[in-house]
Amino acid sequence: MSKDDEYDYLFKVVLIGDSGVGKSNLLSRFTRNEFNLDSKSTIGVEFATRTIQVDGKTIKAQIWDTAGQERYRAITSAYYRGAVGALLVYDIAKVSSYENVNRWLKELRDHADSNIQIMLVGNKSDLKHLRAVSTEEAKNFAAENGLTFIETSALDSSNVEPAFQKILTEIYRVVSNNALKAGESAGAPKVNAGTTITLNNAVDTSKKPSGGCC
Amino acid sequence: MLVSVAELNSKAIRFKKFEALLEQPIVDMDQLKKLSWMGVPEEIRHTVWKLLMGYLPTNSTLREKILAQKRGEYDDYVQQQFSDEGKAGLDQALVHQIHIDILRTNSNIPLYQSTVIQESLERILYIWAIRHPASGYVQGINDLATPFYQVFLQSCVSDDVERTDVSLISKETLNQVEADTYWCLTRLLDGIQDNYTHAQPGIQRQIVRMKELINRIDGQLYAHFQKEGVEFIQFAFRWMNCLLMRELPLKSTIRMWDSYQAEGIEALSEFHLYVCAAFLVKWSAELKKMEFQDIIQFLQAAPTASWGDRDIELLLSEAFMWKALFGSSPQHLKNNNPNQ
Ligand SMILES: Nc1nc2c(ncn2[C@@H]2O[C@H](COP(=O)(O)OP(=O)(O)O)[C@@H](O)[C@H]2O)c(=O)[nH]1
Ligand SMILES: [Mg+2]
Repeated sequence: MSKDDEYDYLFKVVLIGDSGVGKSNLLSRFTRNEFNLDSKSTIGVEFATRTIQVDGKTIKAQIWDTAGQERYRAITSAYYRGAVGALLVYDIAKVSSYENVNRWLKELRDHADSNIQIMLVGNKSDLKHLRAVSTEEAKNFAAENGLTFIETSALDSSNVEPAFQKILTEIYRVVSNNALKAGESAGAPKVNAGTTITLNNAVDTSKKPSGGCC
Repeated sequence: MLVSVAELNSKAIRFKKFEALLEQPIVDMDQLKKLSWMGVPEEIRHTVWKLLMGYLPTNSTLREKILAQKRGEYDDYVQQQFSDEGKAGLDQALVHQIHIDILRTNSNIPLYQSTVIQESLERILYIWAIRHPASGYVQGINDLATPFYQVFLQSCVSDDVERTDVSLISKETLNQVEADTYWCLTRLLDGIQDNYTHAQPGIQRQIVRMKELINRIDGQLYAHFQKEGVEFIQFAFRWMNCLLMRELPLKSTIRMWDSYQAEGIEALSEFHLYVCAAFLVKWSAELKKMEFQDIIQFLQAAPTASWGDRDIELLLSEAFMWKALFGSSPQHLKNNNPNQ
């Protein structure tokens, strides 16, 4: 067993958003510190992992990167099940990718667990001269919808590390917080029920992301 | 590298056989398929593929006429869509999706960095998409256009097409390559359209069948995947969607398509299944030692970068064997395919 496999928590996270906004490059930047101007388009779903520290705990993120095109929705939405976090990415230089955020939120409401942590990510912040979506507007939208918000650039690396760090920390807080409350509240969300159970559940769900994808 | 005299001789003999076949007034397609299964020489691949795809008629006296007619028809489509007045009516979301994918197509090969080539491929995909609204353009179809494009263009240049100087190729030649690619791609996709319609039922079906096939030919690997919670769709989806093109060097795909076309259009859903099974079982020993995430990551980037024709031929012959063993058996393997 490699060192990589010693972790306290295993969290499944999905990357969603329109095609071409930079999801795959955000993932390769975070997991391998690589950026590729002409990486191939994602077909169906691709997968990568990275382990980080949060509050002295080792968190392993199992990240599923999805194809953005409409046609793949039926395939990719099967992967939302069991995910405890979602990075919903748009391109700050492409208005339509921002306008589609509402559709992606609906996708999550329809297919993901209701307590999933969602972070709105405005990528390609390096394209300053081409900016078409203001930071202010996206920030307000995120606040209104209870999402966290960050702008990133997979190209120059800015905020990529903090983005993942932030969402994983939030997930961890929710999980550990709910673990404390688990005994008291019968209505605790299922992903977060009980320390040991949560952990096992998290491991189990991510080890078997089966849930009806076929 | 050393090439033996015997090998050179057998190459020459094969080439002569192809030439003799192609010189017939009416090409014997059974013979041509038989020969092609073992690989088609590069010099005549463009003609052989067009025959195998049913784009060129077997009757040699009709060929020029049909070709001119088909190319003219395609030119009309281009005129309708891409003339100055036509452009205003283009579906901008579709144009954008195709454009960003073409920028990301074969980016390791210089040929595909040329704007002229990129625009040509974009027109092919756009016209195909609007003429096939049941599926429309689906990511991955961009890959499928390139073997045709490359093989047809290769016949028009004297150096390696992958690094040729595109500015030396005439507009007329490029137009012909574009039209021929369009028609052959159309025929190819006709055979697998339900891979690309809503919820992609063709792919779903093939994955179920592949799973059953692996259970029969490598029960241990199957059991290991079950234990690790690996779902076939997690890695094989792309194998079906892009006909393994994402897993192989482009030149290997071209060699593979010699045999696929020789098998006939059903090969794309039928024989391809056995090739995917052979491809998976190839790594069986390694995979059986891995855990869930290592399995997925390994299969997402299978180590085939140095593959040549020989590796492909081995893969194809294994697939052929399994098809012979399991393909005609009556039981459950076949029941999942309502088309049969
Ligand atoms: N300028 C800039 N380009 C980016 C950035 N992230 C991705 N890209 C480019 O955008 C295109 C699409 O990226 P990709 O990661 O494949 O997007 P996906 O379809 O969402 O996975 C590629 O050409 C990338 O190189 C970024 O932060 N800045
Ligand atoms: Mg992608």
